Parts: sequence; C-alpha cells; structure tokens
Amino acid sequence: MTTISRRDLLVGAGALGLAASLPLSARAAGSLTAAIYPGTWEEAYRGVVAPALKKSANIDMAFDSLFAVDQVAKVRAARGVPPFDCFVLDPGPAAAAMQAGLFEPVDAKKLTNAAKVPDGLITSHGVTCNAQVVGIAYNPKKFPTPPKSWADLFKSPYVERLGLTGFQTTFGTVSIIEMAKAFGGSIENMEPIFAELKKAVAKAAAVAAPAAMPGLYQQGQIDIMYTNTNTVAILKGRGVDIEFVKPESGAITFQTTLHIVKGADNVENAYKYMDTAISAEIQGALQQQPYNMIPINKDVKLVDTLDIKSVDELTKMVTHDWTKINPVRAAWIERFNKEITK
Amino acid sequence: MAAGVAAAAGGSASGERVDWRLAAPLGLTYLVFFAAPFAILLGISFYADAEQTRLGLDSWTKFYGDGFYLKVIFDTLKLGVFAVAATTLLAYPLALVFRASGPKLQRVLIFVILMPLLTSVVIRTFAWIVILAREGVVNQTLMGLGLTAAPLNLLQTELGLVIALTQIEMPLMLLPLLTIMNQMDQNLVDASRALGASKWRTFFKVVLPLTLPGWIAGATLVFASATTAFISQSVIGGARLVYLPALIWQQSTVVYNWPFAAVASLTLLFTVLAGIMALGWLGRFARTH
Amino acid sequence: MQRSTFGDVTYNWVIGLLAGLGILILVAPVIIVITTSFTTSQTLRFPPPDLSLRWYRELLDPVRSAPIHTAAWNSVWVAFVATIAGAVLSVLAALAITRVNRPSARLLEASFLSPLILPSLSYGLAALMFFSVLGIRPSLNLLIAGHLVVIAPFVFRTTLASLTQLDPALLEASANLGASRFYGFRRITLPLIAPGIAAGCFLAFISSMDNVPVSLFLSNARTGMLPIRMWGMMESTLDVRIAAIAGVLILATLLLMIVMDRLTGLTKRMSA
Repeated sequence: MTTISRRDLLVGAGALGLAASLPLSARAAGSLTAAIYPGTWEEAYRGVVAPALKKSANIDMAFDSLFAVDQVAKVRAARGVPPFDCFVLDPGPAAAAMQAGLFEPVDAKKLTNAAKVPDGLITSHGVTCNAQVVGIAYNPKKFPTPPKSWADLFKSPYVERLGLTGFQTTFGTVSIIEMAKAFGGSIENMEPIFAELKKAVAKAAAVAAPAAMPGLYQQGQIDIMYTNTNTVAILKGRGVDIEFVKPESGAITFQTTLHIVKGADNVENAYKYMDTAISAEIQGALQQQPYNMIPINKDVKLVDTLDIKSVDELTKMVTHDWTKINPVRAAWIERFNKEITK
Repeated sequence: MAAGVAAAAGGSASGERVDWRLAAPLGLTYLVFFAAPFAILLGISFYADAEQTRLGLDSWTKFYGDGFYLKVIFDTLKLGVFAVAATTLLAYPLALVFRASGPKLQRVLIFVILMPLLTSVVIRTFAWIVILAREGVVNQTLMGLGLTAAPLNLLQTELGLVIALTQIEMPLMLLPLLTIMNQMDQNLVDASRALGASKWRTFFKVVLPLTLPGWIAGATLVFASATTAFISQSVIGGARLVYLPALIWQQSTVVYNWPFAAVASLTLLFTVLAGIMALGWLGRFARTH
Repeated sequence: MQRSTFGDVTYNWVIGLLAGLGILILVAPVIIVITTSFTTSQTLRFPPPDLSLRWYRELLDPVRSAPIHTAAWNSVWVAFVATIAGAVLSVLAALAITRVNRPSARLLEASFLSPLILPSLSYGLAALMFFSVLGIRPSLNLLIAGHLVVIAPFVFRTTLASLTQLDPALLEASANLGASRFYGFRRITLPLIAPGIAAGCFLAFISSMDNVPVSLFLSNARTGMLPIRMWGMMESTLDVRIAAIAGVLILATLLLMIVMDRLTGLTKRMSA
C-alpha cells in the first residue's frame, strides 16, 4: 500500500481546498468520463482504449467503475447533473435506462467504423462494443460428460453440483428464460420453470449471489453454473479447471452497448471514444488474454480462446427482446424471492 | 470551541439538561448531510408507483400487507438478535480473560481482536466460503474427528451466516466492552470475592452490572451492523435467505422501484432503532434497580 | 485464598473454553486469508499448492498495481479526514447528552445513531439526489462528508459508553478545587474517556475503508476507492492481490501498534 508522505498530505489538502472553491468542477476540453464495469473491463479499457484515444484524439479519459445497475441508479439519482458522459450496459439495464430517457440519441454517421459493425448493432441510442455469449460452464475434471441441455441442469448428477442464481443479472435472467423454454414455457409463461426451480433448490449445491459464484466454483462447492464465455475464458486463462458448453438449443447472445448520457458535457468526445472502442485495432486487442472479449467488428479475425469461430456465428444464437422482459422482471424477482426462500 | 468543551466538564458533572451548544455541531452536520437525504427518502416512499408519477400509500400498503415482507422484517431482526447473543456469549469470557492477563498478553489479545477488522469484507467472504463449504475446513475437521459421517451444509444457512457475522461483529462488541472493563473498579470484584461470593455470583452481581454500559454500546453496534451487513448476508447467506438490505438493493438497483425500496429502508431504520432504544432503556432500568 | 469450589472450577472452564472458541472464530478466517495470500497459484484458492511472495511483489509493483495504489490512497485519505472530523463532532455531542435523563436526550441519541442503521445504499442514493438538486456533483469533499455521517455514530456510541462509566465525583472535586471547566475536561475527563474515543475512531476508520455503497454513489471518476476495486477483482478474476492487501494491512497495523507501544512506553518512563 502507498505510504503517506508529507508531500502527499499537502497535495491532498490542496486538492480539497481547490475542489471546495470549484464546486462544479471545470473540465478540460479534451476530457471524457466513462462508466466502466469493475474488474477485467476496467483493466481492458484503462489499458487499451484510453491510451488509444489519448494518442488519436488527445482526449484524457477517466473511468467511474460501476456495475450496469449501479450506473443507471447513479444517473437517475443525479438527474440533470450527469456524473459521467458514457454508459456501458447490458440489455436489461439498457432497456430500463432507455425507458427512463437517460440516453442522448446516437448518430451513426459520426462513427467512422460504423460500416464495419454488423447491421442492427448500432441503434438510435447505443453502439454495441462487445458480444456476450451465455451457456453452461462446468468442471471437466468432475464431469467427463458435460450436461447437454438446459434441462440436464435439473437432472442428477448435475443438479447436485449446480450453482443457481436468480433474475438480478442479465445472464441469469436470459438463462432462466431458456430453461423455461426447455420445460415448455416462454417469457409469457414462466410457470414450468418456477415449478422446476422449486424442486431444484433443495438439491442444488448452492443458491447464491452471482458475486459469490467464482469463489464457490474455485473452492469446489459447485461444479456447474450458467455464465458467459468471457468469465470462463478469464478463469481458464488463470489455470482454473473450467470449460464452456453450448446447450443443444443454442447458446444465448446479447450485446454490451455504449451510450451517451443525457445532458453529457463531452458529447463530441464521447463519439470519438465509441468510435475507438469499435475499431478493428481495439476490438482485436480486447479479444486477447486476459480480456477475452468477443469482438463485433467484421474485420477482426477471432482468436481460438473465445469458444466461437466467427462474428457471423453470433447471428445464429438465441436472442431476447428486453422490452418484453423488463415489464415482467420485477414480478419474477418477487416470485423467486418468495418461492426460493427457506 | 474551548468554551464549548469547557461547558462539557460542567455539563457532565451536574448533568441535568442537554447542552445544545455541544450537540449543535454534529446536529447541524447531520441536518445538512443526513436529514435532508432522509427527508427525500421519506418523500419518495409516498409515491404509489415505480415510475414515481402518482402519490399514494400503495408502496406502504403493499409492503405491510404482504406476509412475506413481514417475515423478511422478522428474519432481519432475528439475525441481529442472534448476532448480539453469539457475540455476547464469546465476548464476555474474552474480555474477562483480557482483564486477567498481563500487559504483554493483553497486547497480543488486542491485536487478535482487531484482526477481523483488518481483512476487508470482500476477502472475508472468500475465507468463509473456504471454512463453511461442504469440503471446507469445518467439515473436514468434524469428519476427521469422526463427529459426523456426512458433510454438514453450513454455507447458505442461517447458522453459517451467524457464525460468520459473529467473527465480523465481535470487535464491535469487544472494543467498548474492554474499555469499560478497564475502567471497572477491581476493589468491588475483590470485595465480592472476599465476602465469600462464588465466581459465578460475582460475575452476575458485580461484573455484569458494572460493565453493562459497555455491553449496551457493543450490542447497539453489533445489532445495527449485523442487520445491515448486505455483502455478508448475500454472499455467505445466499439467495435462499432474504433480508431487508438485499431486498432494498434489488428494488433500488435491479427493478428501480424506488418508492418500495424507500419503504423497506425506512422500515429497517425504524425497527432497528426501536431495538436499540429498547437496549438503552434496558441499560437505564438496570442502573436504577 | 479461598478454596476452589465446584462452581468456581466450572466457571474457570466455561470462561476459558468460550474465550478459546472466541479466539478461534476471530483468527481462523484471517489465517486462511493470509495463507492464501502467499499462494503461487493464479487465483484465490485454499489450500495453496505452494507458497511464495509472488502476489506481494505484484501488489507492490508501482506500474502493474498503480490503480490499486491510487484507490488505496483515496480510501485512506477519505477515512482519515472523515474519522478526525467525525470524532471531534461526536465527542462534543456525546458530552452534550451524557447523564441527561430527559426524553430529549434519548431522542438525540437515537438520531445520532440513525445513520448507522439506514442502509448505506439508500443513504448514498438519497444523498446523491439531494446534492444533485443543489447542483453539487460527486466529489472527494462530498464523499468525505458522506463517510463522516455514516461513521460518526461509532465514535459517538463508544464515547458515550465511556462517559457513562465516569465517576462524577472526580469532576466535582476538581471544580470544588477551583479548576476551570475546560481544565477539568482536559486533565480529567479526556484522559479517562480517551480509550473509548480511540476504540470508536478505529472502528470508524475501518468501516470507512470498507464502505462500498456510499462511495459508489458519492465518488466521481477521479476518486476510485479501494473496496470497489477489490470487488471488481473478486468477481471477475479472483485476483490474489486482494488477499495480499489484507496481509499488508495486518502487517501495517502490527507495526503501528509496536511503534505506539514504544512511544507510550517512552512517555511513561519520561513522566515517571
């Protein structure tokens, strides 16, 4: 940890005084503040995107590390005084933010790399910067034959080693929807899966917070979970016994998107940031270890650590309409609470 | 400030009225930085819908009209009571041993007592997974000793959570208790023993009443901290145990129903405060009897 | 000496066993964290396959761990300022209501404790809403104020407990001897309640260092805080450096205690 020198103390005290005299901090012309997920995403964007943007456009980037749900909560609470210029969001929180009117519109013409991105990935209010692929992760040392389908997760011997999470994350929500389909349900009819979940929770190795899953897996408390390829690749890269398997009904894909916050200070810089993030050079760098992010730029040749072969493969995967999910999600969460609780 | 502090000496000596000059600095700070946000929270709770378009008592009636949420309140308070009971049971003996130890051992003990505070909540949750897991330290020990044939399920149970909270909250109980115990007059203990009272009797009749202010301070901190320990509750307790902080997190950041989250927050505040005031009342009751 | 009766023997056993269990529960998780911090493996895993100082080198590396160092410094600075300011305000407030048996005092006590109980998440969000209405953006100062509010109750409560135990006769005696009230506070009250204040300050400092929700909503992009960074490392990569941080903190506290011990020992010898 850093040692506290006298000089540091003076600098700190000086910074405090300065900040006090400038309550609305004046921002330099060439700066941009972006929210970023804590962990690998922050490392990747600090280490790769920020230096590239500094080099190409002389923009100084600052990152506010926040999970997607917290970004939306923070901007909602700070209405009118946006705490940062750009969001990075998964579809669930993105749909909620869209509904709450927290985005500036995006003009694709201002992005030089727009043509390199498959159709539909740049919308009127957001720019896709990364694809996520969700399926089943398992320990190959414990299970020589992995589960093949979502329904298998509820069967012996898999269910006894399964780590269950609920609807609070995007990957958890879409996984449970696919499980519902496997048992004859749909977004409109979740009855079958709630019946299965109720039976499964008594047998499952853990019913836990998503944050606890990597730790539980690493300590051998669970051997199967549903998660994205990014998590699997990162853990595998660090020597953990973990493999990804696509369920028979197909892996799920959804996009991670960048958005400009309504009323942002640095809209022009935000475009440059988004344009840099989707460039072939950056997308190519972010797919490498230890970041393992699936690229969306068509010019990028995919590395073989990603569990998918090409960007085109994404178009054949299962997708979901979050404008249909969000209105019913609160009720699912409430029901999960009530039925899963001891 | 000097005048204010000077008033303190007199204030605490004669002790009749609240000295508002001394209470004002903290009071005013709270007024700006706490009362105002609190008022906002109270205001939000009177919106009827998640979009905050209509006023009404719907959020309150939904929360209090549902048996599930009443049970969540009860479980949260119960968790606080268990944490206080467990920390008390272990902290008093530790404090007595501390008091009886020489200065060198005392220094070691203080360090041991502070240790849980020095490991961040983030890494502590990992340690408890290691200890409580099916193949974890506790189960391996129990099975090694032949005390149990099949591994016990401790992770994601209330018992496991209480054990973990006991470690995390114990310093909050011990630090006030130790300071009070050091202020305690040893002559009173010696006198009780000299008059032929047993150690048990001396503890219950002399030590316990004299150290009660420290216990109340500790119990207050433990109760407040255990009932609001969101990270420990959700990571060690798991998704099958729902407490108010997890509910507040879900409602405010996942489904953005802020009125409902505000109702849950205020409920937590008032029920726990009621518990704490009961502790304070207990203290005064014990002092006057 | 008295004969040991059966009751006294059981007392010794019960107290000894419970104290032993208490120490075990306090220490076990810390031992696991420290052991894990010396692992050679790439992720948090217990037991470690082999021991090394690898992750301490990684943590102290000024380049690779630069964001952690910045966040740690931010967290220490915020905790330090918030604790000092909170302690001064809380001690005064505790003096104001000690030994007062009126309902107004009970009400004040409850109000001063309430930030401890309102979930910090709700507090952080509501505070952000309030200051946004005033046009104030999240900043280091706002963050310090937010931390001050949620940690002050620790000092307030422990100081109040120490004051309750204070013998009023001492102060009366000093007043009767003609000492000024400030002199009485400085020479009699303060030394007696100092351990209580110190205990509260320690709790306050640590709880500020550990606070996630208030920092989440009141900090800006330039004030990254340590616990938030650690969460990210735990969730995405199981980075062993978060165990090494605990190791460094424990070592630092140990050294601090030894130094303080030497210093106070020295002053005692000098005054004797």
